[in-house]
Amino acid sequence: MPQKRVVLKNCEVIDPKRIDSHLESGGFKALSKARGEMTPEQITNEVKASGLRGRGGAGFPCGIKWDGARTAPGANKYVICNADEGEVGTFKDRYILEKDPFTLIEGILIAGQAIGAKQGYIYLRAEYHYLLDHLQSAIDQAKQKGFLNGFSLEIREGVGAYICGEESALMDSIEGKRGEARYRPPFPTTSGLWGQPTIINNVETLMNIPPIILNGADWFSQMGTERSKGTKVFSVSGDVARPGVYEIVLGSPLRELVEELAMAKDVKMVQIGGATGRILPYDKLDTPLAFEAVLGAGAVTVYNESRDVIDIVHRTMEFLAEESCGKCTPCRQGTEVMAEVLDKFHKGEGSLKELQNLEALSSAMMLSSLCGLGQAAPNAVMDSLQYFRNDYESRVAK
Amino acid sequence: MENKINLTINGKEVTGRPGMTILEVARDNGIDIPTLCYIQDLPPIGACRLCVVEVEGSRTLVGSCHTPVAEGMAIQTHSPKVIATRKVLVELMLASHPDACLICDKANICELRRIAADLEIGLPRFRTRKHYFPVEDENTDMVRDMSKCVQCRRCVIACKSKGDEPLFGMAYRGFDSKVIHGYDQPLGSEACEDCDACIDICPSGALRKPRRAGEERAAKALIIKG
Ligand SMILES: Cc1cc2nc3c(=O)[nH]c(=O)nc-3n(C[C@H](O)[C@H](O)[C@H](O)COP(=O)(O)O)c2cc1C
Ligand code: SF4
Ligand code: SF4
Ligand code: FES
Repeated sequence: MPQKRVVLKNCEVIDPKRIDSHLESGGFKALSKARGEMTPEQITNEVKASGLRGRGGAGFPCGIKWDGARTAPGANKYVICNADEGEVGTFKDRYILEKDPFTLIEGILIAGQAIGAKQGYIYLRAEYHYLLDHLQSAIDQAKQKGFLNGFSLEIREGVGAYICGEESALMDSIEGKRGEARYRPPFPTTSGLWGQPTIINNVETLMNIPPIILNGADWFSQMGTERSKGTKVFSVSGDVARPGVYEIVLGSPLRELVEELAMAKDVKMVQIGGATGRILPYDKLDTPLAFEAVLGAGAVTVYNESRDVIDIVHRTMEFLAEESCGKCTPCRQGTEVMAEVLDKFHKGEGSLKELQNLEALSSAMMLSSLCGLGQAAPNAVMDSLQYFRNDYESRVAK
Repeated sequence: MENKINLTINGKEVTGRPGMTILEVARDNGIDIPTLCYIQDLPPIGACRLCVVEVEGSRTLVGSCHTPVAEGMAIQTHSPKVIATRKVLVELMLASHPDACLICDKANICELRRIAADLEIGLPRFRTRKHYFPVEDENTDMVRDMSKCVQCRRCVIACKSKGDEPLFGMAYRGFDSKVIHGYDQPLGSEACEDCDACIDICPSGALRKPRRAGEERAAKALIIKG
């Protein structure tokens, strides 16, 4: 199947510097519809019916989140667009921000309309500082055209911490605190930014909103699988002939993305979802890309036969150990233990006992960590142990 | 009385009131859940994870010190999964802890040791590098040895709750994160008024009173289960 451009419809089509170019191709019609013809409840119902799930990694149903914030009591509600894009191997949000900032702004404004928020933030990854002026100009142009209509939309920059992409740490960061995960409940929909009802959505999630409002939930939910509706934008990199951003219908097999679109050869394994994502070996390439199987935020990193599994898993763990916020015991201590054990295997000095202990450790980390980082940190270790156990056993010290 | 919340803990039917945490209801019913970062009457911290319990229908375990009870909850506080997880957590704390119990002033009243003993933990299965920080012993009211800190953050919260400019804060990330004083300066002679709020609740040997000449160590016997 070829690419299907819903989210990326305007990318490379409109001039992302000029709002008029966007208006000519039908921009901001969904916003007018949402404001003119729909009640907030109708908007959230439409999003619910579409089956849209969050594109930032966790896949939470978007409409349910919005409804939570819409019905929560609170005078000042907030919409946050998560443009932290910190997951290793993802660059799709950057592409969207560069090529079509207007549709994103439209999505944020519709979200604000739906939950009754007057204030929104775009939390921009520190490394995307070069996009600051570009985004600000897009916001200013939308304001000049009267689309903001009293809604205040500000950009807040991160300072380079992976954990600040996690929603609760991100809100701490906007509040000017050290970015660390909070326990839940309370959830952001009832007590988020400054203790107020807040929705936080990934860039790509919000990009889906204008087309859903314009074309209806039925149109959207025809695409995809039972529990994964619509399309997904993937960032494909690694040992491929054509790295880049691809949008395909959810449920498509991984093989199509990796071998047909990105033209990879001699694939050994694929890491899906970045550092906290899953690892699949070549013979699992027919796995569908869907929330039911594997997905994450859409980072697809391809490794060919020349790559060393242990080296990749070790570096993944070193990254997570470095980026752990350090608040909770299992993640702060567990990622360090894992990184040290993997270092030994990398050097050919591992032991079978340590391998067994890794399994007990993984389970405790998954079960007791405070946030998604620690809960998903063992994924690469566990998957590689399942599919590439020989690579570990051959590195046991003789 | 209205506003009662009905739930089960370890199969037993119990009730709580809105706003109560699982830990509070469990303790009211004589069920002992180990805690390390929790301080009664102060906002929960949620950092140590020792208080995790199994809640039916939940993908992960949940922290009992910060999770409110809800109608119909079915909770297991000592299932094999919970115990196995708590063991790993304590072993992880011990993994970076200096092997200095024999000469530690707080050995006899150390909560970390008591919890490890309760969980029947011997030598930890895991190893990491150790933290080596110089002992801060300039102050006449408090000795700080951050090599022994388990990062429960009790001292941070307790000090903050006093209302004045807090003495401690968190810095750095991951395994390197640390409870710092000022901008990570050693505790000087001036530091604070002698309130002891943090020393009394520090569960490890990281914070203690200086030993004065001729004074014996606090020789309360350590109760080890079994
Ligand atoms: C460690 C960690 C890092 C994350 N980083 C990002 C990120 O960079 N961008 C993002 O959109 N979501 C990220 N998330 C997911 C967010 O917590 C949150 O689920 C998401 O922003 C919700 O939006 P969605 O429902 O539209 O996906 C991260 C989660 C974790 C645990
Ligand atoms: S899981 Fe890791 S990143 Fe998340 S709160 Fe715990 S230490 Fe911080
Ligand atoms: S110094 Fe003591 S109270 Fe403070 S965080 Fe460390 S172990 Fe906890
Ligand atoms: S006592 Fe609950 S997390 Fe520490």
